Amino acid sequence: MPSVISVIPKLYHEYTTKTSKKLKIVDAYLLYVFLTGVIQFVYCCLVGTFPFNSFLSGFISCVSSFVLGVCLRLQVNPENKNEFSGLSAERGFADFIFAHLVLHIVVMNFIG
Amino acid sequence: MKIYTILLPLLYCYSAYAEQETLVLVDNLNIKETHSQFFKSLQERGYTLTYKLADDANLVLSKYGEYLYKNLIIFSPSVIEFGGQIDTDGITKFIDDGGNVLLAGNSASSDLYREIASECGFEMDEESAAVIDHFNFDSLDDGDHTRIVVSPRNLINAPTIVGSQNTKPLLFEGTGLILDKDNSLVLPLLTADSTAYSYNPKSQVKEYPHAVGRKTVLIAALQARNNARIVFSGSLFFFSDDAFNAPVSKVHGDKVKSDESGNKELAINLSQWVFGERGQLRVKQVHHHRQGEDNSSDTYTIIDTVVYRIEIEELKNGKWQPFNSNDVQLEFVRIDPFIRTTLQKKPSGVYEAIFKVPDVWGVYQFKVDYDRIGYTRLYHSTQVSVRPLQHTQYERFIPSAYPYYVSAFSMMFGVFLFSIVFLYYKEDTPKSKNE
Repeated sequence: MPSVISVIPKLYHEYTTKTSKKLKIVDAYLLYVFLTGVIQFVYCCLVGTFPFNSFLSGFISCVSSFVLGVCLRLQVNPENKNEFSGLSAERGFADFIFAHLVLHIVVMNFIG
Repeated sequence: MKIYTILLPLLYCYSAYAEQETLVLVDNLNIKETHSQFFKSLQERGYTLTYKLADDANLVLSKYGEYLYKNLIIFSPSVIEFGGQIDTDGITKFIDDGGNVLLAGNSASSDLYREIASECGFEMDEESAAVIDHFNFDSLDDGDHTRIVVSPRNLINAPTIVGSQNTKPLLFEGTGLILDKDNSLVLPLLTADSTAYSYNPKSQVKEYPHAVGRKTVLIAALQARNNARIVFSGSLFFFSDDAFNAPVSKVHGDKVKSDESGNKELAINLSQWVFGERGQLRVKQVHHHRQGEDNSSDTYTIIDTVVYRIEIEELKNGKWQPFNSNDVQLEFVRIDPFIRTTLQKKPSGVYEAIFKVPDVWGVYQFKVDYDRIGYTRLYHSTQVSVRPLQHTQYERFIPSAYPYYVSAFSMMFGVFLFSIVFLYYKEDTPKSKNE
């Protein structure tokens, strides 16, 4: 147990020093998306599922944004260069934007 | 002008009675005299009776595929084989094509009768067997106790068939019938008392009789699925002038006495039913629409309230008149009934139901299936479809959904903001790295 507790400050230290600022921006975005999703879920539990399509589209838009954000983070991380050889970070970002376009069109259609 | 005034009623008569052609098959033409009251009552109601000997070599039921007769009366128990083109198959086919048959036998009925009976779902007791009742026989009985007195309480509870005013005791002399309980189309119109049994009166009872007590059916009826009607009486005597006019006095028991038997009344009622003068129903009109609209629609959605109206008519005294009942039901069916409701009676034979369309999409039918004893089967179905709401029909901007709207837009806005920040940093750092 003590070892687990001692890991956390180390992890935080490693993150603040070794992670590039660009990835930190992505992480901040992911946190924001995650919190929005949690709030919606709690709201739905409290109020009920009545406009179920609205809940689904709102919640799914958060989940999908989160997934897309994670994908972008994997592609722009310099440590994963070997995995994505031949795919530039710019290409990754363009894919990210394109997927978001499709996602939000679907969400708007379904939200009612 | 005078000719027309004479001709028109004649024409009218002809057209009104064109359907009333009736063939009467008899053993000997003597029956015309012994059953004259019954035949007379038929003629008075407009039937054209054609008497033929049952073994006449020129008997035909149909010519060039058209039936010459609508109704068939068979009063010929002793005939062994019909003459001409009529046989059991021919009669079965006649019934299948919608013809009505009235049959009366006696204890000497031939196997031909048994064949016809079994085709119609009855079973006739063995040859020479007669219904015997040692407790309910008439004083004019000749010693065999086969001329039995039957109380009108033993009649089936169906005023459409037997009429509503049967109070006089009935005379019966003939053979018993047995009905298959599983056959839902046959009806025991008149049953014997619990002390009766069916056996050969001349011989000792050695075996258990085929029909005992109330299971001994004296007069049975069948309304086939095509609404053809058959009345099968075990007694030809039942329809005779003798039985119509005879005084009734029971020897034992409650010693019922009556100056006149109730046979005539019942016989006339039975003939009215079997030849379709009574108990005929038809659908005049069916209409369904959304509540508040007048036009009919063939598609409904779950938010609609449907009004269904059906107009039913009954044949009364030769005229179609509004039908009166309060047990007509409607089913809204998609394989299974989703809604089953009793139709509300409105004036002039209109029945109405108002209900909300179920929340399940699919192809549905409005079904009215009215099947009551004595009435022709009334079946009507209309197909409609229940479709999902159109995209524009859904409710929008529900207050409780606003958080979801906000979050969905914040996701868009978030991507936009994130892109700007992300791209800005992208331009800044790689330059220093590359250099």
